Order: sequence, then C-alpha cells, then structure tokens
Amino acid sequence: MIAEQVLMKAIFTILLITLYGAAVAQTKISGVVTDEKGEAIPGANVSLKDTYDGTSSREDGSFSFSTGELGTGILEISFISYKTVQHTLELKGEPVQLSITLKEEINQLDGVVISAGSFTAGEEKRRTILKAVDIAMTAGATADIAGALNTLPGTQKVGETGRLFVRGGDDSETRTFIDGMAVMNSYNASAPNTPSRTRFPAFMFKGTSFSTGGYSAEYGQAISSALVLNSKDKAEMNQTDIGILSVGGELAHTQVFDKSSLTGKITYTNVRPYFNLINQRVDWITPYASVEGSAAYRQQLGNQGGSLKAYGNFSHSDFSLYAHDITVPENKQMQEVNNNYRYGNAAYQQPLNTKWSMRGGLSYTYNDYAVKIDGKPMRENENDVHAKIVFENSVSDHVELRFGSETINRNYYASRFDEQTIQTQHQDFNETIAGSFVEAEVFASNHFVTRVGARSEYNTLNHDFSVDPRLSVAYKPGSLGQFSFAYGRFRQSAQNQYLRVNNDLREEKAEHFILNYQIITSNRTFRVETYYKNYDNLVKFENGNSMLLNNNGNGFAKGVELFWRDSKTIKNADYWVSYSYLDTKRNYLNYPYAAIPSYASAHNFSIVYKHFITAIKSQVGVTYSYSSPRPYYNPNHSEFNSDRTPSYQDLSANVAYLPKNWLILYVSCTNLLGRDNVFGYEYSKTPDANDVYASRPIVQPAKHFLLIGMFITISKNKSVNQLPNL
Amino acid sequence: MKTIVTFIFVLVVTVSFAQDKFTATMLKNIEAVYSAKTTEEYQQVINSFDRIASAEKTKWEPYYYSAFGNVMLATQETDGTKKDAYLDLALTAVEKGEALAAGESELVAMEGFVHMIRVTVDPATRGQKYSGQAMRAFGKAVKLNPENPRALSLMAQMQYGTAQFFGSETTEACTTATTALAKFETYKSVSVIAPQWGKSMTEGVVARCNK
Repeated sequence: MIAEQVLMKAIFTILLITLYGAAVAQTKISGVVTDEKGEAIPGANVSLKDTYDGTSSREDGSFSFSTGELGTGILEISFISYKTVQHTLELKGEPVQLSITLKEEINQLDGVVISAGSFTAGEEKRRTILKAVDIAMTAGATADIAGALNTLPGTQKVGETGRLFVRGGDDSETRTFIDGMAVMNSYNASAPNTPSRTRFPAFMFKGTSFSTGGYSAEYGQAISSALVLNSKDKAEMNQTDIGILSVGGELAHTQVFDKSSLTGKITYTNVRPYFNLINQRVDWITPYASVEGSAAYRQQLGNQGGSLKAYGNFSHSDFSLYAHDITVPENKQMQEVNNNYRYGNAAYQQPLNTKWSMRGGLSYTYNDYAVKIDGKPMRENENDVHAKIVFENSVSDHVELRFGSETINRNYYASRFDEQTIQTQHQDFNETIAGSFVEAEVFASNHFVTRVGARSEYNTLNHDFSVDPRLSVAYKPGSLGQFSFAYGRFRQSAQNQYLRVNNDLREEKAEHFILNYQIITSNRTFRVETYYKNYDNLVKFENGNSMLLNNNGNGFAKGVELFWRDSKTIKNADYWVSYSYLDTKRNYLNYPYAAIPSYASAHNFSIVYKHFITAIKSQVGVTYSYSSPRPYYNPNHSEFNSDRTPSYQDLSANVAYLPKNWLILYVSCTNLLGRDNVFGYEYSKTPDANDVYASRPIVQPAKHFLLIGMFITISKNKSVNQLPNL
Repeated sequence: MKTIVTFIFVLVVTVSFAQDKFTATMLKNIEAVYSAKTTEEYQQVINSFDRIASAEKTKWEPYYYSAFGNVMLATQETDGTKKDAYLDLALTAVEKGEALAAGESELVAMEGFVHMIRVTVDPATRGQKYSGQAMRAFGKAVKLNPENPRALSLMAQMQYGTAQFFGSETTEACTTATTALAKFETYKSVSVIAPQWGKSMTEGVVARCNK
C-alpha cells in the first residue's frame, strides 16, 4: 500500500513536471521589433518555432513571453510586407533580451514603380491609372483602343485618321505589340480622311500599357510610343456571345477544357444600310464592308504559370468611292480599295526554376492592298516575321535582369501601272533587323528604383549598327507620391513609301527626356509630366523632290501634360481629365524649313465621365474633347504651314442598358453638338486663271456617328455579360 | 497490477491532455477570432493561429482560422492594396490547409470567400473573373459537403451581391439563403473546433430578402 502510494506520488510528480514543468524552467523572452528606420512594428508575430509559444508585438513594438522549452530554439519574427527573421536562442531559464530589425520586402504592389511616360491599364493588383474595361467603355471611342487612348495626355487628336499621334510624332511612330510580339499595320483600311479603327478588339486584352516615351529596351522600331497589349489568359467558362449592331454583327464562342481554352469569333461589318439612311459627305460607290475572323487558343503549361498563347486573325475589307476634283467637282476619279490582312502570333512563357524564366514568340503579319484608280491597278504588299526570345532572372529580390534577342524581317513590294511607259513599275525592299537588349531593374528599397538598359540593332538594308541607351529612375519619398525620370534613344526604319524609293535610307531617331510626378490612391490619380524630345535623321526630300530622299530632316517636341482621375467624389461615377500642351517643329519631307506639322495641335483637352445609374440599370458615359487649331499649308500664302484650322470639339455620349444580366442594349453617338469640325484644307495642284489655288475643307464624313447594338451572352453563370467587352 | 493500470491510465491522460492542449488553445483562439473587432485583435489571434499551424504540421483548422481572420481584416480595410495583401495571406493559408486536408468543404468555401472579397476591391473590373471563381468554389464546397451551411450562405451572399450590382431579381439568392439557414439548424459539428460562424450573416440576407 505504502509502496503504491509512493509510486502514485512519484507518477503524479512526473506528471506535474511533464505538464507544468514549464513553470520550473521558464525562459522569459522579451525585446522590441522595429523597422530599418527604428520605427516600432506593432502586431508582428513572434514565435518559438515548432511550439505554441509566442506572442504579438505591442503598440510600441515590444514583446514578452515565457517558454518552458529548453535547449536550442529558433525564434521567428514575421510581419506582413516584411521579410521574416530567425534568431537561434539557447533556452536555459535565463531571460533573453532581443532587439529585432525587420527589413521591408520589395513590394511590387505598393512600392515604387517605373512610371515616366507610361500609362498602364490592367486588372493586375497594382494600382493602375486605367482599367481594361475603361478602354472599352469610353464614350466617343466606340470601343476602339486608339479611340480610348486618345483621351489620355500625350496624344493629339487627329480626327480624320482615328489613329494615335503621340507628342509631336506622326501615326507611324507608335508601334503596337501583342504579348511582346510586333504588329505591323495595326489599323483597318479606311477611305481617305475617314477615321480608321484598331484591328484588335479591346476585350481581347487583360492589360494595356501605353507608353508615350522612355519605354523599355525590349521595344524597338518605334520612336514616339509603344502600345503593349497583353492578351487574356485561359478562359474560365464556356460562353457564347452574340452581338447585333446597326453596322453588322458578331458571334463568338469560348470553349473551356481542363488546361486550355479556345475562342473563335467572326465579325461582319457593313456600313451600307446605315449610310443609306444617314447622308454621308463621301461619294461612295460601295461603302465600307468587312469580314473578320479570329481564334485564340490558350494552354496552361505546368503549375508554375507557364503558358502557350496562340492568336490568329484574318480580315477582308473593301470599298469604292469617287474622289472629286477640287476645281472642277464634276471631274471625278474612281477609287476601289481591297484589303486582305492576316496576323498570327504564338507566345510561350515558362519559368525554368525559381530564379529564371523564359518567354518567346513568333508573329507573322500579311497585309495586302489592291487599289484601282480609274481602273488602273496599284498594289502594296507586306510580309513580316518577328521572332523573339527573352530570359528573365531574379538575381535577388532587389535585382531583376532581363535580356533577349529578336529578328524582324519585312518583305515589301509595291507596284503600279504607269501610263506614260505603259508598264508596271515595281519598288520593293527586304529588310532584316537583328536586335538584342539587356536591362536591369534595381530596387534600392521600396522608395527607389532604377531601370537601366541598352538595345543594339543591326539593319541588313542600310548596314547600320546601333546601340541605344535607356534609363528610368523613380523615387517615392512617402507612401503615395512619386517622382520619375526617363531617358532613352529610339529609332525606327523609314516609312515604307520612302524606304521603297531609297533602300539606303538610314533609321529615323528620337531622344526622349521625361520628368514625371504622380500620386495614385485606389480612387484618385494625379499626374503631371513634362518632356523634351529631339528628332534626328528624319526623311527629307532633296529640293522638294519626293524621289530624291535623304536623312537630313530633324525636329523637336516639348510639352507639359496633366491628368486627373477621380472615382470617389461622386457616387457611382468616375471621370478623368487630360490636358496636353505641345510645342513642336520639324523640318522633314517637303518642308522648306522647320514648321509645325499639320497633325500637331498645341492644346488638347478631354474629359471622360461615366455614371452607373442603378435605378435605370444603365451606365451612361460622356466624353468631351477639344483640340486647338492645327496648321495647314495654303499655297496662296508664301509661308509654309502658317494657316490655322478652327479648333476641334466633340461631345460624345453612350448608354449601356442592362435589363437582364445576360443582355445589354447599347447606343452611342458622336458629336452631339453637331459641330462641323474642319481638320485641314486640300488645294488644287495647279492655280486657276486668277493664280489662286482652289481649296476644299477636310471634314467629317458625317456630322454624327450613331451606333446601336444588342449584346447577348449565353453561359451557365448568369452573372456574366458582355459589359467588360463593350 | 493496479499500479500498472494506474500508470497506463496516467499515461493516457497525459497523452490526451497533450492533445487537448491543441483543442484548448484552438478553442481559446477561435473564441477570440469570433469576438475580434479591431485590427490589433485580429492580428494577434491570426498570429496565434499561425503559430499553432506551424507547430502542429498536420492540422488544417489553424490555417482555416488564420485565413478567416485575414478575410475579416480585408472586409474591414478600405484601402484596396491592403485588402489584397490580407487576401493574399488568407489564400496562402487556405492552400496550406488544403495540402493537409484535400477536399475539405470548409476550406474550399473559404477559398471562395477570398475570391468574393476580391471582387469588392473593384467590382467593375474584377467582377467577371473573381465572381466566377468564387461561385465555382462555393459550388464545389457544396458538392463536397451538401450539409455545409457556410458554403451555401456565402453562395447566397454572392448571388445577392451580383443581383444587386445588376439591379436584377434576388429570388435565386434568397432561395439559397433560406436553404442555408435551414442547414444551420440541422448542422452537426464534426468536432468542437469545427467552424461555427455564419448563421447571423445568413439571417441578415434572409431578412433583406423578406423586406
């Protein structure tokens, strides 16, 4: 009995020691958690690894807890957006005092980013200035990418083309890239002085980066602007979309498989019935009609974010019209245009290990214009192939290295029937550009980042070898505002119509200097940017002769731009305001001396307003644009480009009505004010009897463009509709 | 003999008591996470769950509650970037939990909850992507355990929010909410530390439906 009691007692003692032994040999661990600046970090998790013991740091960063563990222990301190720290401790009942410094993690979301010159629109988590859906829902843009981007600072509205003109550069100076691959001829065919549209629908892309200067060394062959479009990833659900529009229709279907998805779309556009109703100031024979098909295939590769994206697009468009002589309008010329376009693109990306990843791609563009002027044929044909491979290495969490190589081959020919010689004349070129780039992004902290890189190119046509530096720095002193600076040298081949005349033309060059300040919160953005741009090697006509070309042209552009966006002040409403001031002159082509080009306007202003009205289940959008008078050349005046058009003004509106989740009714109308905008004047080639050159204004083909549409989405998930696609 | 029996008994008690340390600590913290209001309170209890999770290595519940705490923090936060940061932590915790308990309906429902709160950062842009992902997760959670009232309740919330956003009928959402509420009445917890929350939230939806 006694023995048993003793045993029991012993067991209980052992039990007590096991359970409450902690009380016997308690080690008190205390200290303070601070950041690199010595500021207290409250709420950090302080834990003894593999045990329950630990605590959270207090308001002043201090912490204290006791543990019954003995021997060697690892104390782990972690906190959101800081790097986790480990300390090895000897636990033997004696108090341990520690002071812990946590280092900030380089934060891609909230930290400093390269921002000079670029407007990013995406649905990624980082704070972006525009959302993908904004591009589609801007009034006046009728869902055209270029149309929406024309409401941003840095662009000059050139209404008769519908294209992007950036900071004193012409439309050929902006290059489009889809998933990193170059796109040639990214605009649809259009009649003279009527706006063209981007060939690629806005809804295809999850992210858009529109850079008005100072872009990465990865992008070449663009001296003003890079429009980088990233297509959507694998689709998540099967759906069929039907669109019926006043100018045609579209049908799309998406089929989702386990690791891949396939989308096919066919669009038919025919403006003929519409033009019959609304009088046009173009003497159409057969107005514009087009049929376009596209397919997109998405395949996930592995679980680490690898993917293969393939996209193909073909389109055929045609129209014919009479162009009337300026002095004798009864004299007319018949113009017939046929355009066939094909674009194919495959982009592959794959992480190789935790540090390295690679991406690459291949793109092919075929563009063929068959034009007849009074029955006499002209043809322009281009076949381009772009191949590219890029490697990326996360050297550390502070340094990202990127390098790659590419070749762009362009095979071009043009032919026309010459009446005098009664022969078909040919002009062509075959150009290959081999390019390489290397670029490093270095984060000194969450407040300072530098991107430095260089791009080299060799051009087989003119045998030019070049190396162009690129540099961007950004400094974010606090948590919101940041300053950025960018510098870069950019180049691109002369435009086709000049290069075909003189195959030896050198590449046109531009240098950008950009200074930017921006504040972005989740609901508001303010941004101001100033720049200076220097043009060199521009194509120039020798003695005004368009068949004698050299590279003696040059020019400059400078300006200040403001942007404000606010989706907070007015409930359910979102608006942005852009203003650009541009001062530019260039001496190129047939210019007798440096002058302001006819596409440049000094002041551009636009305000885009969108309001979702729940009561009527509608989103209403209004856009107002203003461009100050543009210069034009009046041969009756001796000074070149000294005359000015009236200012351009446009007020457009759209309404998207959602009576059901799967149905959208859409109406948009441009130029509600009914203003007769004049973009410039055309003059007769020869003066009349009184030695006066007759003129004719270049105007909008119709006062308004009215678009009515109905969009239906059929899918299992009833909450899906085409609103993001519009 | 008696000694040996006692010894074994004591051993069993010791072992089960050691196991109970997990349950006891969990219960204490679960109570804390349900009653937390301030960011500090949430942060502390999330930290506790993270400590338990890393010490236990085989239990999915600490990860579940860590995720729950972060989702709650995200719903309180007004700054979109911070909201996303909490949701990232929540999703990481859910994934770690799922690695230990594949096919656990509660975890899948929590994953859907994370996607659902993602939508609120920017409904116009994120609606299509994340509401789809959320609905799929809720659907999967219900399939894994048709008795799980939280999966149904979250689904009802999502349907209600979507209907409101588009200004359409809430009938479907209300039917789901009513079913969810009924499931709360009959729901039997598999363990004392199994999730219990969600009833009053569901009652809220049902009340709005009956208005």
